[in-house]
Amino acid sequence: MNIQIDGKTCIAEPGESILETARRNNIDIPSLCHHEALPGLACCRLCVVEIEDATGNRLVVASCVYPVAESVTVYTNTEKIKKHRRTNLTLLAGHVPEVKGVLLAYCREYGVIRDDSHMKAVVKEKCILCGLCVTACEALGNSAIQMAMRGIDRVVAPPFNEPSLNCIGCASCARVCPTDAIDCESVSGNRKIWGKTFSLVKCAACGEPYATVDELDWLKGKLLDTELNLAYCPNCRRRVSVNTGK
Amino acid sequence: MKKTILVCCGTGCIAGGSLAVAAALKEKISELNADAAVETGIKQTGCNGFCEHGPIVKIMPDDISYYRVRVKDTAEIIGNLGKKPVERLLYRDDAGKRVKSQMENPFYATQKKLVLRNIGDIDPGNINDYIFRGGYEALKKALSTPPEDIISEVEKSGLRGRGGAGFPTGRKWRIAAGYDNFPKYVIMNGDEGDPGAFMDRSILEGDPHSVLEGIAICALAIGASEGFLYIREEYPLALRNVKKALADAENAGILGDSIFNSGKSLHLSVVRGGGAFVCGESTAMITSIEGGIGQPRAKYLYPTEQGLWNKPTVMNNVETFSNIPLIIGDGGAKFAEIGTENSKGTKVFALVGKIRRSGLVEVPMGTTLREIIFDIGGGIPGERRFKAVQIGGPSGGCLPESLLDVSVDFDTLLSYGAMMGSGGMIVMDERTCMVEVAKYNVEFLAKECCGTCVPCREGLRKLLDILTKICGGTGDNADLEMVESICEALKETSRCGLGKTAANPVLTSLKYFPGEYEEHIAQKRCKAGVCGMGEAK
Ligand SMILES: Cc1cc2nc3c(=O)[nH]c(=O)nc-3n(C[C@H](O)[C@H](O)[C@H](O)COP(=O)(O)O)c2cc1C
Ligand code: SF4
Ligand code: SF4
Ligand code: FES
Ligand code: FES
Repeated sequence: MNIQIDGKTCIAEPGESILETARRNNIDIPSLCHHEALPGLACCRLCVVEIEDATGNRLVVASCVYPVAESVTVYTNTEKIKKHRRTNLTLLAGHVPEVKGVLLAYCREYGVIRDDSHMKAVVKEKCILCGLCVTACEALGNSAIQMAMRGIDRVVAPPFNEPSLNCIGCASCARVCPTDAIDCESVSGNRKIWGKTFSLVKCAACGEPYATVDELDWLKGKLLDTELNLAYCPNCRRRVSVNTGK
Repeated sequence: MKKTILVCCGTGCIAGGSLAVAAALKEKISELNADAAVETGIKQTGCNGFCEHGPIVKIMPDDISYYRVRVKDTAEIIGNLGKKPVERLLYRDDAGKRVKSQMENPFYATQKKLVLRNIGDIDPGNINDYIFRGGYEALKKALSTPPEDIISEVEKSGLRGRGGAGFPTGRKWRIAAGYDNFPKYVIMNGDEGDPGAFMDRSILEGDPHSVLEGIAICALAIGASEGFLYIREEYPLALRNVKKALADAENAGILGDSIFNSGKSLHLSVVRGGGAFVCGESTAMITSIEGGIGQPRAKYLYPTEQGLWNKPTVMNNVETFSNIPLIIGDGGAKFAEIGTENSKGTKVFALVGKIRRSGLVEVPMGTTLREIIFDIGGGIPGERRFKAVQIGGPSGGCLPESLLDVSVDFDTLLSYGAMMGSGGMIVMDERTCMVEVAKYNVEFLAKECCGTCVPCREGLRKLLDILTKICGGTGDNADLEMVESICEALKETSRCGLGKTAANPVLTSLKYFPGEYEEHIAQKRCKAGVCGMGEAK
């Protein structure tokens, strides 16, 4: 199917989102909460675009979840859209004083001067509450962390704010986080995350710590014939399996 | 002649002691001589809408209404049956005259009771009371009507949803009926999260069968055989009455396995909503019924196509459903005679705030604000001036005195920045600070939104900060620019209806009361004397 985005004819796959189509066609749309493997959070609202239907009616939608349709024309960078993005970035930047990484880059791109003069500075707050970590953990089947409370009191936390029984210390949440907001320390053979300490296992080949004991136990429960492979870190594992043909 | 004593036992009157009054009346009746006792019946009804003057006791067919009845009054009430009414318990009208009939009471005189047609007259716990007044006739009629024609009748009536946005009910049903994807579901939205609102509670408590009948007709029209009644936990009496009504209707063969022996079934279950204001939003409610966290869905998909468990689902508000038996019973055309061009029928409002007569009010669409607030409500108490009325709940707008003569209907309210919402109407007098009101609403929404999307969560957080600053006397004009940008982003980029409408109270107070913001900012003065200036919080 063909769809018009910013005057360019783009080929779209039925069922995909405007964002996906645009990116495949080299049209950039900013996003903070979109992750190819974990789509559908749709909470940062940076990916907003204007769509126009056949009768000329325009509507602002979140492109990461709005399905492509031949009958709509998309505008990704109108003045109105830029203003909304600037407002939403200003709001986010005001809440997370230590703006870094991709958020900082967007702030620069959209000319957001961080002004947290009105905000009761949330000391060291980095989390933008995008939910990616929660979704990642849920996708792995552990659901060790969740969105607790509602409204402006919302936080990411393990249930009851106590170290979670389900947490295997895999740090998938920390890896997926766009703002490095999750404290995850690995020192002297241990990893500390979400108030729990895990022993790290060293790779049998290269000696680098690559997983926690709990994580490997959990993997063994999931996989069938991997006793051997699990002794190595993912890199060495690949090498070993090539060499041994296993 | 046989007398019936109707004792109001809605939540308000019960709080005022009406159960004790009913018990005392029963006892006094049993002490009468045998003939008189047989001739005197007593009935506990739902809310008469004038709770603040409760407990209310009515004598039929004499059409006497007593207010603020205490146990000590019961002997005299029974003693005077068939004789002169007990003067001191009658309502005193605006001219100071004691009036006997409910219809002489200015609070009721100009109301038009369609949805509230039975409430206050029937015992909600007795299905026969409902049937005796023609109840479930419309359902019988619907059983022998092709679904297509039921839907046409609802379309013809012009009925629009009473829970919020005013979406045409018939059109919603037609869309859901059009999908060949079974099972389909019907959901009743009885979350009623607006603070101060109690329209739906009163309907569920006082006439639960009218709602069940409406739901059953909807189910027949769209081809659903299962449904859910979502009622908030804080409504114990509504929950109890609805559960009893449901069980009674099933036992009578009206609902359940075979509706009136037609072979068509409808199984309804009650779901208790303990959630936040946002759980009233349709997709949040659906998720909550599915067992998830009540938070609106991100997808651009209508429940009519993919609702509960991704099946076609019709959700309507309590009051919407309660209108349906009338439309099917008397025809859509008759219903459409009431109201305005684009808003048909009546609307029930919870009239509260700085008003002489507060309570539940049902008026035809198109009635003016002035008629509701001054004729029915009796205006502002204590010689004070009217200042504003907030319509549509916490995300409704605040309209000023100059707009008192506008017609109350969906489109007119929207055009002035307010909205019908579910029918909350809060009257404010001159001692109200509009900046503070805006702040209060923003604070409510900031706490009650789900907190998922940035414009809503962070926008409301920032609006609250700015408005707190302005109320504390440390706001500046740059803040107002930020307020405007946030309001625009809220309206256009929020995920759900809560965020999209959350700017209304702020925008209307800026539009209709700009002077108050200026005073707070430039002169550090709050004319209403509400904001403690200089003590920035
Ligand atoms: C934040 C929010 C709260 C809502 N609360 C309610 C409510 O308490 N009761 C209700 O019937 N509809 C409520 N709605 C509207 C519902 O989403 C839905 O539109 C309505 O129940 C549909 O029924 P209707 O067409 O009969 O009005 C709410 C909407 C939003 C966005
Ligand atoms: S911790 Fe990171 S991934 Fe999790 S919600 Fe916060 S910003 Fe998103
Ligand atoms: S607009 Fe508000 S209530 Fe709606 S999804 Fe966004 S945060 Fe939640
Ligand atoms: S990427 Fe679409 S809302 Fe975040
Ligand atoms: S409960 Fe009796 S009038 Fe409302």
